[in-house]
Amino acid sequence: MLQDLLGALGLASIYLLFALGMSLTWGTIDILNFSHGSIFMFSAFTAHLLIPYVPMGFVGVALVCIVVGALMSLLVQVVAFEQIIKRARNRNTAERQILIGGIGVAIIPLAIAQEVTKSNPFGFIDSGFEVTTWTFMGLRGTNILLITLTAAAALAVGTAMWLRRSRHGLALRSIGVDSEVSAMMGVDRRRLAIVTMAVSGGLAGLAACLFTYTLGAITPESGDTLLIKAFACIILGGVGSTGGVVLGSVLLAVTETVVLTRTSGLWVEAVAFGLIFLVLLVKPSGLFGRKEVRRT
Amino acid sequence: MDWTAVRLGRRGAVAVVAAAALGMSACSSSSGTSSTSAAAGGGLPATINVVSINPQTGPAAFAGLAANKGYDLAIKEINDSKFLGSTTLTLSKVDTKGDIKTAASSASTAIADKNVSAIFGSVSSQEAIAMSPLVQQAGLPTIYTQAGSDGVVVGDATYRATPLMRTYYSLVKKYVQEKGWKSVGIIHTAAAPTLVDIGTKALPAIATELGMTVTTTVAVQGTTQDFAAPISQVLASKPDGVAILLVGAQNPTAMKQLRQAGYTGDVLGNSGASAGNLKPAGADGAGMVWPVDFNFQQKAEASQKFVKAYQAANSGENPLNYAAEAYDAAWFLAKSIKAAGSADRAKIKTAMATVASEKFDGALGNGLTWKDRDIVVPGVMIRWDGTGDVLLYEGSAS
Repeated sequence: MLQDLLGALGLASIYLLFALGMSLTWGTIDILNFSHGSIFMFSAFTAHLLIPYVPMGFVGVALVCIVVGALMSLLVQVVAFEQIIKRARNRNTAERQILIGGIGVAIIPLAIAQEVTKSNPFGFIDSGFEVTTWTFMGLRGTNILLITLTAAAALAVGTAMWLRRSRHGLALRSIGVDSEVSAMMGVDRRRLAIVTMAVSGGLAGLAACLFTYTLGAITPESGDTLLIKAFACIILGGVGSTGGVVLGSVLLAVTETVVLTRTSGLWVEAVAFGLIFLVLLVKPSGLFGRKEVRRT
Repeated sequence: MDWTAVRLGRRGAVAVVAAAALGMSACSSSSGTSSTSAAAGGGLPATINVVSINPQTGPAAFAGLAANKGYDLAIKEINDSKFLGSTTLTLSKVDTKGDIKTAASSASTAIADKNVSAIFGSVSSQEAIAMSPLVQQAGLPTIYTQAGSDGVVVGDATYRATPLMRTYYSLVKKYVQEKGWKSVGIIHTAAAPTLVDIGTKALPAIATELGMTVTTTVAVQGTTQDFAAPISQVLASKPDGVAILLVGAQNPTAMKQLRQAGYTGDVLGNSGASAGNLKPAGADGAGMVWPVDFNFQQKAEASQKFVKAYQAANSGENPLNYAAEAYDAAWFLAKSIKAAGSADRAKIKTAMATVASEKFDGALGNGLTWKDRDIVVPGVMIRWDGTGDVLLYEGSAS
């Protein structure tokens, strides 16, 4: 039971690290970035390609993933999303076009990775870091599990504090509430959007690093699967709430683990997503969702 | 083995929506070849056109590209050896891009092109299922490789040069007996019909035959990437051995997590672990064993002849089973054309039935036969030692 709970927390941490970046951009600068999964995958893929030429341990791989993720996300913002926002007739149109634009952008790194790997799994097998196993009071785990749990907890708390306490965070939240008023108050939306997208991409890169070490290997399509799960975590917890994403990730992971360990396994997604559906019937804005304050 | 059903599934809704949005539509590079008529009737023309409709990009490209190498090699040998006299086989390749609509429309294009005598169908079950009704109705001889689902071999025009896994999975009996297992726990994907069949029917039947018990069976989705929970459930049932019947990238992850969970014994797998898929698991992958229809180390003379020819044509690269199957498929077609003495589709189709009734030696081994238009092979048992395949033993021809 405790072993399963530990496994569920590990899974929740991966969901959280991945979803945190998506939630950050969606909840503040109103960008639901559907290329997040591809950025996640491609950052790990880049590290995988570099490892044979540049020997590096865990820190090196993590840094490569974070930097590549941040740069890709920044590039997507500048090249795609900013241009869409500039040309869109209104906010609703921009949101829709960003959604489709993100899907379109996502295909490029996916296609590159598929072409290079022929869709075979890839990992960090030749990196200097070794995943080791430990046992404590009957519980088994790995060093990467501990790192993942720690990173997820630290980043969730850090993100929440940053949004709540810092001037940047306040400015970001003000954009999320009303971007026009925040602009009138002197908030530089463009600069903050670029920073937020870079942070979001960096989080995707870190998640990719930890996820790849945890599983041993991922495929070019791995980001797509996580994208759907992250979407569910954010919706369940409530868009714009860091605490909501944490809760959503834990709930989804625990539900999946319970179903997987107590049934034949086929019901896992039906039960997990059915639960989300039920929660949303009762609380449409998600468990910790903020009230809609947009004015017409 | 139906890899692509799973791999396409794992791309998720995003990619599917995007593909639709971008209108990834028909690719029709096949019909541009000038040719003699395929429907001319008697006598072999100077050129006979064949089309390979396979994914060369996308999630199943690894299998489609490898299959095309097998077709290329066989057709070169057929032409160089003047197996069909002065007639030359010409192969055109169409990339389905992993898109079912493209596969179906490419099949329609080939059907409409009367210069095309036969096609090599897609390795993807989803694509093959879309193609089969079309080619069967049109009477266009079609030989598939892989594409292990029902609904692919649907009539006298359709053949499959990949054996159904259940026909050779019984090779594991000897291994299990040697290990002295009295019980086994099974994890299988629900996304590949072939592996569902092995996990829920073939392997339990083998266990019953050997007096073993199946302690528990856990199915996982094609999208599952973390196997900690199902592994925990299986190990809690305390089996002597574990069977992991997953596809592609799922295999190294499951092996890694199985070792991390404390299981140190050998693991029954399937050919989804081959083609170097276990490499990312490193030393944790060592100990997975599986039966497969072909391995480049198998000793049959015809197999080794193919291996050497393939290595010579591909810079020393060892052939995968996809290439071996395609090689035998191409030779099967060439023999059928020769027996028909014509490029006419109907005559080739009739000749295929005759050729399929005879035993033959090929890349897949000695004493190969066809049953219900599916190839039957002896198979080989493989063990991954952490760095590469080790041939444990070979099956015998029926």
